[in-house]
Amino acid sequence: MAKRLFTSQGLTFTGQAAGSVIGTASSYMALKGGASTQIIDVLEIFISGMATASTVAGMIMDRVSTLETTPTALAAPNRDGGMNPSITALVSGSTVVPFVTASTQPTPSNTVTDIALNLALNLFGGIVRWNAATTQQWWIIGNTAPAGESILFNSSTGGGSTGLANAHIMYEPY
Amino acid sequence: MTLLRTSHDGEMTLDHTASPGIPAADAERLDMPAELVGEGKKMTAAVMGCPHCGGCQMLNPMRKRPRNVCHKCDKYVCDICAGVMRQPGYVHRTIEEIAAMVHSGKWKLMGSMSNPMMIPVTEAVDG
Repeated sequence: MAKRLFTSQGLTFTGQAAGSVIGTASSYMALKGGASTQIIDVLEIFISGMATASTVAGMIMDRVSTLETTPTALAAPNRDGGMNPSITALVSGSTVVPFVTASTQPTPSNTVTDIALNLALNLFGGIVRWNAATTQQWWIIGNTAPAGESILFNSSTGGGSTGLANAHIMYEPY
Repeated sequence: MTLLRTSHDGEMTLDHTASPGIPAADAERLDMPAELVGEGKKMTAAVMGCPHCGGCQMLNPMRKRPRNVCHKCDKYVCDICAGVMRQPGYVHRTIEEIAAMVHSGKWKLMGSMSNPMMIPVTEAVDG
């Protein structure tokens, strides 16, 4: 397959508790497998803070314990596409589902045995970038909880406050 | 062949050179090294991909405790998986093995990522 970028711009990452259903639409970035046998390698996450005053955000990449219902298709300025302009479209039925809102929002996991990647930063001028080493990517497997979906959100559980940011998630589906 | 366990390190850069950064009290709550994330600081830390749960974890540069190793994988594992490994009845499976099982369509993953249960997919039989 080929690498793709899921980008959000000017998203207000609302501080929300892990283990509870997300309460605010368009306040997170989630990536779900398009089929029960799909594998997705998440290779990079970049967050660039756009807040106009000091705002500490508890950004984390987390598993999802309860899936959303009916994800809403991405709309501008958020986008998802291949990094190579000659990319081949994914086979129908295995199209990855990137979204920032849904009819019923997902629930980020707070299960002790589900790992979360800590990407906390101050959104007033702060920048964070995570790169996976080769073969050390964040895995998304299938399309059911908890392995089949991951979410980048602002966790108030760790003390995160609501703030504005631009972000991208680089991934490669199989 | 991998010569060093650190050959598997990814990288995380947290740049607060033009930012007030994360105050010490907040850093502690957010599980970040307070010495490296304050105003004007730029932190670069290794990130480990866990061979068991498929997640990634920043390696705190200020950590003094030893890291956990799986001797079957000969790789570092995250603290959560290290705890699960010590439980009775633990079945060792790497994330590559789990992904291959799910990808075959014959198994589905239930439970949590550090302590997964692999359930065979059964097809309904008529009659």
